[in-house]
Amino acid sequence: MLKINSVGLTISAVPLLNNITIDCPRGSVTALMGPNGAGKTSLLKVISGEHKASQGRVAINRQSRDDWKPAEIAQFMAVLPQSSTLEFAFTSEEVVALGRTPHATGTVRDAEIIIAALAKVDASYLAQRSFVQLSGGEKQRVQLARVLAQIWDHCEYEGDAPTDSILLLDEPSAAFDLAHQLMLIDIVQQISARGVTVVMVMHDLNLAAKCADQMVFMNCGHCTAVGTVTELLTPELIKKVFSVDAEVITHPVQGTPMVVV
Amino acid sequence: MKVLNTRLITPRLCGLLLLISLPLVSLLGLMTGPVFISLADILSITLSGDGGNSQEKLIIEIIRLPRVILSLLVGALLATCGALLQGLFRNPLADPALIGVSAGASVGASVVIVFGSTFTAGGLMLGLSAISVGAFAGAIITSVIIFRLATGPQGTSVATMLLAGIAISALAGAATNTLSYLADNDMLRRISLWQMGNLQGASWDRVGLCALTATFLAVLIPREAGALNAMLLGESEARHLGVNVEWLKRRLIIYSALGVAISVAVAGVIAFVGLMVPHVIRLLVGPDHRALLPLSALAGAILLVAADALARVVIAPAELPVGVVTALLGAPFFLWLLVVQRRRT
Repeated sequence: MLKINSVGLTISAVPLLNNITIDCPRGSVTALMGPNGAGKTSLLKVISGEHKASQGRVAINRQSRDDWKPAEIAQFMAVLPQSSTLEFAFTSEEVVALGRTPHATGTVRDAEIIIAALAKVDASYLAQRSFVQLSGGEKQRVQLARVLAQIWDHCEYEGDAPTDSILLLDEPSAAFDLAHQLMLIDIVQQISARGVTVVMVMHDLNLAAKCADQMVFMNCGHCTAVGTVTELLTPELIKKVFSVDAEVITHPVQGTPMVVV
Repeated sequence: MKVLNTRLITPRLCGLLLLISLPLVSLLGLMTGPVFISLADILSITLSGDGGNSQEKLIIEIIRLPRVILSLLVGALLATCGALLQGLFRNPLADPALIGVSAGASVGASVVIVFGSTFTAGGLMLGLSAISVGAFAGAIITSVIIFRLATGPQGTSVATMLLAGIAISALAGAATNTLSYLADNDMLRRISLWQMGNLQGASWDRVGLCALTATFLAVLIPREAGALNAMLLGESEARHLGVNVEWLKRRLIIYSALGVAISVAVAGVIAFVGLMVPHVIRLLVGPDHRALLPLSALAGAILLVAADALARVVIAPAELPVGVVTALLGAPFFLWLLVVQRRRT
């Protein structure tokens, strides 16, 4: 679905990414992790098309990223940025409606999707509220509903979705409280089960461990390690990438690895 | 949980109110002036072509009707272009002056006023005086310079455009001041009156030119409403929603430069309409451009006709420059609305 092949990125003579190769199969969840300035967001921007790779190539559905037109790719790929800069007093409902911009599904169907997407992120009660007055976590939930609305037909399709779909999330849970962090994990698992390929930047190792099929440790623009959660969550690798002494134990009930510092 | 709807009225109601006000205000515009003409006379002159006395008929046909229609068109153009630019810059305080159009037009007009005697011999072009042609040229040249300065290999940066606009406007202001310094008393008066805007020069030719521009823009601009809404989220967000942001920016800059340059050419610099009208409409019905653009056009038209009618009667038989009236009417209303809005939230 999404193949990142020896991608390098240099902006104003500063190398930001170096020889990154990651393969994200259909319906997989990939967590990009690493210290600040490691290049996680830059990699996400190369995938989303905001930056053009200086070396290597990104292929989406076996077609080079650069060959897709913006209007075509917006049909099946949605991007949630780190923070929003919307300063106009749209209601939350109208913000989510903007997610339907690439589609011509009609107002009736769109209205259904908007209501369902807001309900999915536990934000139905915010529908008529002015977006600019919401708290940081509420804003991020409404923005999450917007990107879900954009690829809704893929998220909610019964059985196999008609076409493949990609969701890019940049630190989606940073502003969320504990309950909404778990809600996010739940949503990511649901939509990946429907075949949506998810790539997300995360800082919380334990949260990522709950839903990632594949973890990528990045440092200084390089890809230090790629593998499953159990392969990557080791004291040695965590020390190497994050410069932190940590213990890895097993969750007493769920059996997943847990990082304790 | 407290539900807070920040909208004052629905777009539909707002549109209805504006559509009712538009003909009423236009009739008021036809009635008022140094010579008062009754409603009955206006209706019989405009509808059946006779009635009233011949003097009143002439006043309506040659002076007031083109002037009211020109005010409608210029007001609609300025307000719509203001709304486009505020969307483009994602800043509710943006106005047409930001892309240097007004400052450039002032330089163009001043050059013609000061050095004009040498090249006004050509007479009128498309019903425009040499001053109007100078203003139009000045407006287009400055907006092209600012656009080129802000466009690099990474595309057009609206932040750079904002700064370049301020710098070029300052430069153009200095040029206008230099010209004013060189000008004699009569020229000086003409320059400063032109900068306050007026619709005295209204003629059917100018109405035709403005109507052509307004029709052209009325066909093209509504198509951009959805993309403009997406732009309010941010440029990259709009791109991820499938908008070709670079081309959108170019089209919006061309539309607004054209609209403002034409209105400046026929009516001088009329401040505040482009800034205030879209802002007021946004406070009333919200920022959705599908409603904002047409409602701004209607409200801008109404505001300018009303302001022009007032400009003709306040110190009759003399006239106030209409730009002074729009600011006098608009600023207190705008402040009142801001205070109301702050209390509600």
